[in-house]
Amino acid sequence: MKLKTLLSTLPFLLFASLSAYAQGRGGGRGAGPQPPQSPQAAAPIDITGYWVSLVTEDWRYRMATPPKGDFLGVPLNQAGRDAANAWDPAKEEAAGEQCKAYGAGGIMRMPTRLHIAWQDMNTLKMETDAGTQTRILSFTPSQSPGGDWQGVSLASWDRQATVMGIGRGGPPPGGSLKVVTSKMKPGFLRKNGVPYSADAVMTEYFDRFDQPNGESLLMVISEVNDPTYLATPFWTSTHFKKQNDAAGWNPTPCSAK
Amino acid sequence: MFDNKSIVLSALLTVSVTALGQESAPGFDLSGFWSPAMHEDALERGGGSEIGDYAGFALNEAGRLWALSYDPSRVTLKHHQCDAYVAPYQMRATGNFRIWEERDPHDQRLVAIHVWAQVTEGHRVIWMDGRPHPPAWAPHTFRGFSTGKFVGNALVVETTHMKQGWLRRNGTPESDQATLLEYFVRHGDHLTNMTIITDPVFLTEPEVRSNDYFRQVVDHHAWLYACDDGEQILDRAPDKVPNYLFGQQPFAKEFAERYKLPLISGVGGAESIYPEFMAKLKTVTNAEALARFRPVTGRPLETSRAVDPEPHDGEIHVFPLRNNVYMLVGDGANIVVQVGDQGALVVDTGTGALADKTIAAIGKLSGKPVQFIVNTGFRADHTGGNVKVRRSGMDPSLQGSFFSNQFADAGQGATIMSHQNTQNHMDALKMPAEGIPSDTFLEEHRRKFHNGDSIELFWEPNAVTDGDSIVHFRRADVIVTGDIFTTTQYPFIDIKNGGSVQGEIKALNDILNRTVYEHEEDGGTLVVPGHGYLSNEHEVLEYRDMVVIVRDRVRAMINSGATLEQVKAARVTADYDTRYGASTGPWTTDLFVEAVYKSLQQGSK
Repeated sequence: MKLKTLLSTLPFLLFASLSAYAQGRGGGRGAGPQPPQSPQAAAPIDITGYWVSLVTEDWRYRMATPPKGDFLGVPLNQAGRDAANAWDPAKEEAAGEQCKAYGAGGIMRMPTRLHIAWQDMNTLKMETDAGTQTRILSFTPSQSPGGDWQGVSLASWDRQATVMGIGRGGPPPGGSLKVVTSKMKPGFLRKNGVPYSADAVMTEYFDRFDQPNGESLLMVISEVNDPTYLATPFWTSTHFKKQNDAAGWNPTPCSAK
Repeated sequence: MFDNKSIVLSALLTVSVTALGQESAPGFDLSGFWSPAMHEDALERGGGSEIGDYAGFALNEAGRLWALSYDPSRVTLKHHQCDAYVAPYQMRATGNFRIWEERDPHDQRLVAIHVWAQVTEGHRVIWMDGRPHPPAWAPHTFRGFSTGKFVGNALVVETTHMKQGWLRRNGTPESDQATLLEYFVRHGDHLTNMTIITDPVFLTEPEVRSNDYFRQVVDHHAWLYACDDGEQILDRAPDKVPNYLFGQQPFAKEFAERYKLPLISGVGGAESIYPEFMAKLKTVTNAEALARFRPVTGRPLETSRAVDPEPHDGEIHVFPLRNNVYMLVGDGANIVVQVGDQGALVVDTGTGALADKTIAAIGKLSGKPVQFIVNTGFRADHTGGNVKVRRSGMDPSLQGSFFSNQFADAGQGATIMSHQNTQNHMDALKMPAEGIPSDTFLEEHRRKFHNGDSIELFWEPNAVTDGDSIVHFRRADVIVTGDIFTTTQYPFIDIKNGGSVQGEIKALNDILNRTVYEHEEDGGTLVVPGHGYLSNEHEVLEYRDMVVIVRDRVRAMINSGATLEQVKAARVTADYDTRYGASTGPWTTDLFVEAVYKSLQQGSK
């Protein structure tokens, strides 16, 4: 094959690959462009249902309220340490601020059950029985000013990149739910006053793993960036086990102590 | 500017990559340098947790008691000084990681993913080529045997064949029966590894944890972590293993007291993992918590939950050891065969039920007749095949030779060797004369150079019987222990036939005095147990520790005037029963405790 001939085939090869990719995304032979799927219809994983915390890490920071000044592992800067050392749970309760550890930056670390459901085709609603909180994970940008405990969460599906995005007949199976939360009311990363500020931005990835034994686990990987109180991003990964139903669901109010 | 050749090459590469993508499972690249983000469990993963902090672990009673018996001074023992980390703990420990892919140079398929941990030089290989896991009788390593595949957006890894190690570095144990399921996911420069440990011996439900790493763009360097053991405490008796008697762990309350938590906090158990435990923290009394620091008495003994390493398929399985030495599995006790120009030397012959298949397997390894059989002891599961295997050694070249004038049975079969007491026991049991050893030794040592190797037989005067021999192939560096060491049960200490717990401990220490590990308490000298999977010194070490610890408990009770029944009722083996215990069969937990008790009453031999 002459060089010129070979070069002339290149556009066709690329076109063929892209066509195959399009078909894999629901194009189909001979079909015209399809309207984009809703986030609910396009979900690569199902995280709806009831889930229960598995508190196997940071146990004494989560199952009990640790002593003031115990912020081992959290990369606080000096302002963060000062704020943590000033923690006064009685004062928080008196000021009606007992939900500071139940904001988006801390709630997933609480021993809790989750109830996740589609509120509509563009919005996931996540309720917790600990502190009776509700997180709204919206796949469309919100105009909300935020400023409450749960802030504003923008959701998207995150899939592994493929080789040049082509050649596999469509996107790879599986994926993660990515949630970026900002505009939170200042709260606590840990119950003993380890702070995050209104400037904090939290990026989460929700991954579901279906084990061979039939059980399903949800892992929530979290990165909190806070220029006010953190020297470096704060990373955690938190686990939940799937429940068949609402067994154990036990709404409890926030507590600062 | 690209020239035409570059463009053509790019096009071809594009097509090739596309084609490859269609054939391969979807996946992602983990390669690079990774540092752990130790924002969770920072104390555990850094300086180390307090003794008594088992919170969040689904420990059963055995696991909790094992941990409470642990004395950190144990790491001063020579053989424990370089203990490596088991795979899940390795992923959790401090230190950096380097990950790289191994690809077939011809078709570029992914063969394996290698993970190198800075601490302990932990090298994990995750096989991606679809190979099966080894059989149950294959050796265990600290990192175990891992296979992986990409599923969805995760690398899913299954690991088996791990050694006993830590769930947590404060004595919280993970048994050699544990298996590991892992999910690796990568989000940009953030890698997360979820570990799910299933351990039928020490856990009541799988332990789920996760580790986060962030990618580094440069090499961390400092990848080496050499460890040689040394003399740390002089003049310590060889049968001393630091441990605490049940209920006497002095630091059991330290965790709760330091952090002003209820005493139940550190006890652990599956209930401590779930949200409901927050309420329980307020209601469980210290007395209830303290009760969990000792075995629950008056309940049936637990029994082993370990995988049976015997194939039970009516076949003899050959497992290569080193040089010209092989392990044959399938007919009761393990059989070891050394082959070469001088004919096979066989250590033990199994029950004999599969003797014909044993002989056939030996025949495939060696074209020469069996020359020697060595019996490590007299029990039928080790000597049952003697008659047939001996006959297979018939050597016509010796018949009518000079030797036939000296020995009536020259050339009639292989020569059977053992300690004299083994011969005595077999005579007393009226075993077939043809299968009884004819070449015996009386004192501590017998040696033979055969097939290019120096072979030594060491007599252990009062271990499981009074006629046990350890066989050491020095060049191949393989030790055959007979029933002095097994991975399947408590040592079968036969008091009536000369066994004793002190002699058993001495014998286990004698094995440990002859072994050398290759790296971080792993590899090196191969140890073939009387029953169970191929081992090395770490398995012998944990077994020795167990015998010493049980001995210490029984001795303490004898010293306080306890009767045998009281000792049995105290469940002095409660932390080992889920690994070695038996309530039926020829060797039960009760019989073991009785043997320890009686041999201590008789005094050390």
